[in-house]
Amino acid sequence: MRIIKLKKDNLFPFLEVISEEADLWAPVKKGDKHVFKVVDDFSQIEMNSTRTILPPRKIFLPPTFDMFSVSEEGYKEDFSHITKKILFGIHPCDIHGLLILDNFYKQAYLDPYYLEARKNTLILGLSCWPDEYCFAKSTNTHIIEEGFDLFFTYLKDFFLVWIGSSQGDDLVRLKPELFDEKLTDKDIQTYLNWQAERDKAYKWDLNFTAMPDLMELKYGDPLWEKLGDTCLACGSCTNVCPTCGCYNIMDKQFLGGKDGKIMRHWDACTLEEYSEVAGGENFRKKRSDRLKLWYTHKLQAFISKYGKPSCVGCGRCIVACPVDINVRTVGKALLGEEEDAFWIRLNKEVTK
Amino acid sequence: MEKGSKEKLKIGIYELTGCAGDALLILDCEKELIDMFKAADIQSFLMAKSDNIDGELDVALVEGSVSTEREKEELLDIRKRAKTVVAIGICACFGGIQAAFLDKKDWEKNFKKVYGDKKMTHTKPLQSKPIDAYIKVDYYLPGCPIGKEQFLSTFNRILRGHPPELYRFSVCVECKWNENDCLLNKGIPCLGPITRAGCGSICINHNLPCVGCWGPVEEANLTSEFHLLREKGFDYDFIKKKMANFSGTGMADFLGELKGEKK
Repeated sequence: MRIIKLKKDNLFPFLEVISEEADLWAPVKKGDKHVFKVVDDFSQIEMNSTRTILPPRKIFLPPTFDMFSVSEEGYKEDFSHITKKILFGIHPCDIHGLLILDNFYKQAYLDPYYLEARKNTLILGLSCWPDEYCFAKSTNTHIIEEGFDLFFTYLKDFFLVWIGSSQGDDLVRLKPELFDEKLTDKDIQTYLNWQAERDKAYKWDLNFTAMPDLMELKYGDPLWEKLGDTCLACGSCTNVCPTCGCYNIMDKQFLGGKDGKIMRHWDACTLEEYSEVAGGENFRKKRSDRLKLWYTHKLQAFISKYGKPSCVGCGRCIVACPVDINVRTVGKALLGEEEDAFWIRLNKEVTK
Repeated sequence: MEKGSKEKLKIGIYELTGCAGDALLILDCEKELIDMFKAADIQSFLMAKSDNIDGELDVALVEGSVSTEREKEELLDIRKRAKTVVAIGICACFGGIQAAFLDKKDWEKNFKKVYGDKKMTHTKPLQSKPIDAYIKVDYYLPGCPIGKEQFLSTFNRILRGHPPELYRFSVCVECKWNENDCLLNKGIPCLGPITRAGCGSICINHNLPCVGCWGPVEEANLTSEFHLLREKGFDYDFIKKKMANFSGTGMADFLGELKGEKK
């Protein structure tokens, strides 16, 4: 893979050129958090952003969109929400998230909406620095070797730019004079030092190797009932997860006529309706059973099928869950280590 | 009567105690209103027309809670005439603000505070209750007021003989879809996790906490929400009041249980 150099001051001129080709999406501030948004003013881009509230999958499959329009003539697929996009500033863990979703949507049934959006979106990754919630080193998703068109490692005064695809190369060729083809020994050393420091900056880790066995061994553990008692079933962990991809479909018929739309929205296996079938039977009526399903998928089932967990260490579930049910607290509890969490405290406080 | 209207479903839209916000919302569907009147035979809709007929109905949409003897009789009569009854809006579904006093004694005390010893001649006042306190309700369409999109979809599905298809999860789901930062996690008392979605998390989109005006979601974990708010520093009375404000009757069992608990 070819690696070139871009001076810091040349980034905006480069973005200027490429944003003429497609909408440029990048992380910007929302309150004290970050979100991916279309940007015109590049100074809004958060170069040192942490995780965005929603993962980048929202750019490929929005939380709600119309799949079909329906008329007397029949169904017509609606791809109107899919436009050419460039996604800049996506971190390694989130690129891994997309690679996991690729597995998911390319299984037996290809998902045309996802695949079409993937085809139309260029991935311009950006290096990041872990905060207290990140654990991508535990999932080995802090580094990325595939799944991007360009990848920028931010080294104070300059970027090292990995060219990951011919489309990425085409972008560079739009303004090659902005880049330096030759790297100095000093540049390489700066990168190595940065990488070593970054690896040391992870504040906690989780032993994922033990997780599949622990999920098996502790499947009947009272721990799950405690979690179920506390869980608000708000679906937040699932909605913010970069590797979750379940959805539901709703009909939207128009009054009077025969026209309508078929709408698709994000679903979550942690919600009550998810496992309900015709006739009203529900296979996972209990919240504890749904949490077990989610964690089995993340920490066990995906590993046995694809050799890696369906968790990329982004820390979104840790930030999102109001009652502290997340990969960290659940993972630690499975390991027999007690973390301070609301779901542990709640059971001590409720006397009723 | 329009030709061919015999095959159309006969619909009645009724208002009991409430702000009439749901009837107003139906009227506010300006773009779809003509289609609505074309697709259904709207027999009674006080806010929209004067030639109302109180006959047999296929579907009755009822807004508001029952707070007088006369309303109770009217409701019983609607139930007798209608094949299907749909409760529309928080007041019909869960009692609304006027049903915040769950305890009969509390209600009596407050009634006296407002009306004193005045004698009611028009009709006998009753402690305000959702309509399912008196009749069987087939479908519930919550909201304060109901949402335009959900109403049109429900109305349309009912005309085609299908049950409503509503979001059955909490406000948090829509709130996440709108990529809001969680207010609960910032220590703001938000009822999102226990409240039914459909509003598009409109309050939180504007940085205001959810007040629960769409009523409790089917699976509301009231115990966990209650203790979470306690831990965030809110006192017992505040939380109880907040929970009971719009849909106390939907949480009556839980709030009743809390009564015995130590403050």
